[in-house]
Amino acid sequence: MRLAALALAVALVAGCGGADDEQLTVFAASSLSEVFEQLEPDARYNFAGSDELATQLREGADADVYASASPGHAVDLHREGIVERPRLLAANQVVLVVPRSNRAGIETLADVARPGIRLVIAAPGVPAGDYAREALERDPRGDAILANVVSEEQDVKAVVAKVALGEADAGFAYRTDVEPAAGDVVEVGGALARAEYAIALVREGDRDDAERFVERMLAPEGQQALLGAGFVTTSEAGRPLP
Amino acid sequence: MKRLFEVACAVTAGLAFAFLLLPLVALFLRVSPGALVSALVSEPAREALLVSLETSAIAHVIILAAGTPVAYLLGTRDFRGRRALIAAVELPLVLPPAVAGIALLAAFGSRGLLGDELDLLGVSLPFTQAAVVLAIVFVASPFYIRQAVAAFGAVDRTLLDAARTLGAAPGRVFARVALPLAAGGLGAGSSLAFARGLGEFGATIIFAGSFPGETRTAPLAIYAELDRDFDVAVALGALLVLVSVAVLAAVSLLPAWTRFTSSSATTFAPSAST
Repeated sequence: MRLAALALAVALVAGCGGADDEQLTVFAASSLSEVFEQLEPDARYNFAGSDELATQLREGADADVYASASPGHAVDLHREGIVERPRLLAANQVVLVVPRSNRAGIETLADVARPGIRLVIAAPGVPAGDYAREALERDPRGDAILANVVSEEQDVKAVVAKVALGEADAGFAYRTDVEPAAGDVVEVGGALARAEYAIALVREGDRDDAERFVERMLAPEGQQALLGAGFVTTSEAGRPLP
Repeated sequence: MKRLFEVACAVTAGLAFAFLLLPLVALFLRVSPGALVSALVSEPAREALLVSLETSAIAHVIILAAGTPVAYLLGTRDFRGRRALIAAVELPLVLPPAVAGIALLAAFGSRGLLGDELDLLGVSLPFTQAAVVLAIVFVASPFYIRQAVAAFGAVDRTLLDAARTLGAAPGRVFARVALPLAAGGLGAGSSLAFARGLGEFGATIIFAGSFPGETRTAPLAIYAELDRDFDVAVALGALLVLVSVAVLAAVSLLPAWTRFTSSSATTFAPSAST
């Protein structure tokens, strides 16, 4: 199924490219969807888990810009010669989210360690999941918390959806995912980890448009929009990553 | 002119075959046989296959146990609303699996229609293997029921009547006459339903989630492993292709058997009452 979806995505992106070469194609972590669509509504977007997008690029998908929720995926793609040197875009906070109804009565991270809590987390390889796991490894309650995981989702928006539906009692997502969920999920217990976002030009892509897009996101206008959406902006934005 | 038409047909058919078979062949060429085997015995693949086998087997028992009486009624009785019932049973057949997933959530999720009732019973379905089984039953049972209705419908009614007038109880008529005569069709439907259930993805990932060793079936593992260990994803894909081929082969062998049982039916039916 994933193969089919991947093939379809590649075919769609590649196929459409012929008809409309001028349009900028951006592959971005799903947590960036609101900001990017608001700032640049005319671009064509493929929002998914950063790791899934990296796989699509390796399989030859046609894109101009890649923005990932962890520097790792972008740095790997750079090493493989698929993207240019990535630059720091912004940061985000990984937080614990619960449904508005919060029937399980979760107020702090410690509550998630209670037996029987249904916790959802992004799958290994998906940045939102990896950041949370790293933080939990350093936490004495980490093992008890991870024992409550009932599902590993393929991107962070799927985590938020399961929590918003009330099917899961809690999930790990980004602070920026709380507001777009329109009140269906609530953040509790403060930030768990800091996530860094990277942005890079795709080597085979349309250089001029892509460069303009990246510069715009790194310029005060883009950083302001990211800040407004709940991202953490940093004076280091634009710093090349190793 | 006639020649031109035949050449055009042949070329189109060749392209169609190439298009349909190339992706499946490519799956086997992508990874070497050795890597394929070692990927299949890796932890994620073994876990997923075990989950798939367990859930598919349980779901299949439910499909056969519940689907057979339903199909027997729909196939051998005439009553008002029969066609509408058949259409309703067949609906999941054409329903997008993702729709099946949210429909199952809407019915059996903790905020679903029966959410409070299930909660009172202390039952929470989402994220459990029971949810995987329900998803498989929901999407795969129509494949069995549809074939089974046709198979029971094709049984000569005079044989059923003869058995009854000779004094066989309804249960005996069903077990000794209808069931053996419909066996070929039931087998074909059963195989197709099993194959469809094994490949279930959309309803499962939405309704049951994806957790290794619990709800992550082989198709879900392909999705999860694609960007982690491509070899495992391809190996599981290749294995599912082989299973599909086996199912198709089984189905194509069944009609011969049906003909065999049908031809002996006239002598078989009277003996059922002795």
